[in-house]
Amino acid sequence: MNNKDILTISAKPDQIKINKNELAARLGTSREYESYAVDFCRERLLEVISYKCAYIKSDIDLSKQNISDFGFMTVSSQNLYRNLKGCDKAFIMAVTAGIGVDRLLAKLNITSQAEHFITNALASAAIESFCDYASDIIKNGADCAPRFSPGYGDVSIEVQKPLLNRLNASQTLGITLNGNFFMTPVKSITAIMGVKNEKDN
Amino acid sequence: MKKITELIREKRVYFDGGTGTVLQDMGLPAGQTPELWNISNPEKIIGLHKAYLDAGCNIIKTNTFGINADKFENYKELIEAGIKCAKKAVDDQEEKYIAFDMGPTGKLLEPLGEMTFEYAVELFSKNIRAAAEYGVDLVLIETMNDSYETKAAVLAAKENCDLPVFVTNVYDASGKLMTGADPAAMISLLEGLKVDALGMNCSLGPDTMLKIIKEFEKYSSTPIIVNPNAGLPEVIDGKTVFNIDSDEFSDYMLRLAENGASILGGCCGTTPEFIHKTVLKTKDLPYKAPYKKDFTMVSSYTHSVIIDREPILIGERINPTGKPKLKEALRTKNLNYVLNEAITQSEAGVHILDVNVGLPEIDETEMMVKCISAIQAVVDIPLQIDTTKAETLEKAMRIYNGKPLVNSVNGTEESMNTVFPIVKKYGGGLIALTIDEKGIPNNAAERAAIASKIAKRAAEYGIEKKNIIVDPLALTVSSNPESAIITLESIRLIRKMGLKTCLGISNISFGLPQRELVTSTFYANSLCCGLNCAIMNPFSKAMMDTYYSYRALNMLDTGCIDYINYASANTEKTESKQNRNNESLHTSIVKGLKDSAVLCAKALLENTAPLDVINSHIIPALNEIGEAFEQKKAYLPQLLMSAEAASASFEEVKKKIKSEKNNKNKAIVLATVKGDIHDIGKNIVKVLMESYGFTVYDLGRDVPPEKIRDCAVENNCKLVGLSALMTTTVPAMAETIELLNKTDRSIKTIVGGAVLNQEYADMIGADFYGSDAMDTVRYAERFYKN
Repeated sequence: MNNKDILTISAKPDQIKINKNELAARLGTSREYESYAVDFCRERLLEVISYKCAYIKSDIDLSKQNISDFGFMTVSSQNLYRNLKGCDKAFIMAVTAGIGVDRLLAKLNITSQAEHFITNALASAAIESFCDYASDIIKNGADCAPRFSPGYGDVSIEVQKPLLNRLNASQTLGITLNGNFFMTPVKSITAIMGVKNEKDN
Repeated sequence: MKKITELIREKRVYFDGGTGTVLQDMGLPAGQTPELWNISNPEKIIGLHKAYLDAGCNIIKTNTFGINADKFENYKELIEAGIKCAKKAVDDQEEKYIAFDMGPTGKLLEPLGEMTFEYAVELFSKNIRAAAEYGVDLVLIETMNDSYETKAAVLAAKENCDLPVFVTNVYDASGKLMTGADPAAMISLLEGLKVDALGMNCSLGPDTMLKIIKEFEKYSSTPIIVNPNAGLPEVIDGKTVFNIDSDEFSDYMLRLAENGASILGGCCGTTPEFIHKTVLKTKDLPYKAPYKKDFTMVSSYTHSVIIDREPILIGERINPTGKPKLKEALRTKNLNYVLNEAITQSEAGVHILDVNVGLPEIDETEMMVKCISAIQAVVDIPLQIDTTKAETLEKAMRIYNGKPLVNSVNGTEESMNTVFPIVKKYGGGLIALTIDEKGIPNNAAERAAIASKIAKRAAEYGIEKKNIIVDPLALTVSSNPESAIITLESIRLIRKMGLKTCLGISNISFGLPQRELVTSTFYANSLCCGLNCAIMNPFSKAMMDTYYSYRALNMLDTGCIDYINYASANTEKTESKQNRNNESLHTSIVKGLKDSAVLCAKALLENTAPLDVINSHIIPALNEIGEAFEQKKAYLPQLLMSAEAASASFEEVKKKIKSEKNNKNKAIVLATVKGDIHDIGKNIVKVLMESYGFTVYDLGRDVPPEKIRDCAVENNCKLVGLSALMTTTVPAMAETIELLNKTDRSIKTIVGGAVLNQEYADMIGADFYGSDAMDTVRYAERFYKN
């Protein structure tokens, strides 16, 4: 069952430029590092990657100290509260690179540790890059607080559950949670992005 | 009242439309559970059902989509209330039916997720039992985006009630489920499980479904359901757009009906108005019932394989007969070995993989289930379950994600009575061997007669002729001179009977020199007689040569493109062999060139002692890249590529060191300790140890202390190597050593890994600190000398 206020964004693999800094950080290389192995792994990854984003625009109530109340969930956190300061709405979003990436990584874990390592780094950088791409579309020029994800700072990772439920993420994105609140597909990100002092339309 | 299963074969039938989205318009807050209204606002639910019935639909869905025992303790109460609302609305009207609506659990099944298959079956079973108790006309399993969860839900329905079962899945714009299956794969699976209607719902609008319906129409013998979305917002190119209205929707529904959809309705965003207009626009269109399709299909969780004109290759390598390495892997539960065989055969181009894990000393059922689950996590081609045990076959077919091939049934009463009921329940292609109580006939006519008998008996169980693939058996030609001739004639006869055929090809050449020559010639002959499937070795060049050239010669390879690609890949291999002198083994390893390292190692081994290849070429190269890494002149990806090139060349060296192979007296247990998932260092030690003739029990990474102890004790192995790469996992290492010491003080422990040093090693009571892989090997050699 879809809620009418859930919006989705998708992108073709070649539409998303993988951020070079993100990739270098994850490979442990310099920004300039290039190799046939990385190129080969990138090509193969792009064959299975499937980017998708779902989001809603939520009201927020910050009237209680360190409590961010979104209506469908209440988060008790100083870090998030500060992050959302000056915001009256927030985008609640989740992005994924799809289950094909999990399958590819499982296979490479058997056949080649080197290719597994490189592909894992590429996929992490790729989903970060798509998350940036989707955020820009969602913001549509609005002044927003930096993206904040469950598990950062003092925000419990358990926030994943109500957040993903609100986005109907198992249906809209195929994201499910395990007992430790880790997401499958593994290359998925959830985030809250406050909208600064915007008046209701 | 007429049964719904009869009605859908006679006329077009209509489902209702969206539930949750309409309830939101009626005041249900976004994000709140619609099913709670069954109890708190029943009049609104009844009103919604009535509105749909008045709009002209025949089947209403109970408001129970998201209910299961994990989410709601009072699931039975919610289901009962939901069914009551539906019953009140229907009020025994003619040709109006109630579908018990069951959606997905929201959890992902193993192996990629956490929920076990049987847990899912039980969760769905609880719903079904409740629904059957309160009384509905059919079960609708809908909005399923995973084939495996769909199978669990269908089994739950089949095992807990006699109601008709309808299934709709969620496809994306590329025509696939979220977990990969295309319509043909789902049709194979669902028709195998004998559902009464199947199709698609949610996610897409009717315009996109129109592109996918053709696939359904082509393969499905079962009535097709189409319940699209409409009126929902999407962000396209940065703009929020609302897709189609009721007029446009019903126009598309008419076209869907013209293209083979038998049961029409709606999903999210659709309202009684959408359904009413759909009924009006399609009611005068003459109804065409779906006709029987005659495809022999098996499937995986992504696609189906059609057994028809194209020769089908079935990889034979996962079968322990005559394969000591695989036997050893099965005994030691080394699934990685099996998975490697699966991946390499799949990459070599087979269409289906045979899986046989029968060894007298292991629990075949447990191993088969484990292997199938693990293989399906890494390889997406259909599997052939190869076993002689009924219990193993039953469990394997149950947990298989798709419609498998089954190897095999034969013409004996015992075999048929055992195998048919299992295949009837789960659905599968079935290999039928032409052997009966009297043995294998020595002429084609009698073999064909057995095939005919098997097909007839199968039909009594509802197993269609198209699902029987006859293996007329190829006996060794060196001891049975007429064997090949009889088998070829049998293929011709059996094909004339309209049955498909399969052969275990390799057996024909047993006992002869240069077997590949005989095997591949026999294969070519068999293909000319109409053979469909060959169980074969895809690493045999002669076999693949035959396969590709046969396809080119028989108009199965347009423009000979596959043949040309195959042939040019072969030429490249030959050329790189000739150019191997351009790279030495040393530089190949340093550059991380795996293929080149293998070729160089092979060349060196022609005139160099195996241990010299290790000590003078491989180790210095590894040291060089290792030092470069330490000095930050090389990066981790390079180090890893080099390590793998080195490992691949070690494999070549190992082939030469035969005398010390499988020396049980020289053994070591290796593991990366609990909590640590890094196993690069351990893997390097492993290949080095193996090249020195050690038997290595590799337990992998993140291994609990008890498992390491059990392995050492079981195998009476007195040497244990532990690896850790993170400071946080050194305590787990200490814990493991303590447990080993407590168990048997004669067990010696070696520790190594990035965070370890002599001081740490002493502190946690290790017997030896291996500063690198060579160091570890030397200690182990000394240990076994004393």
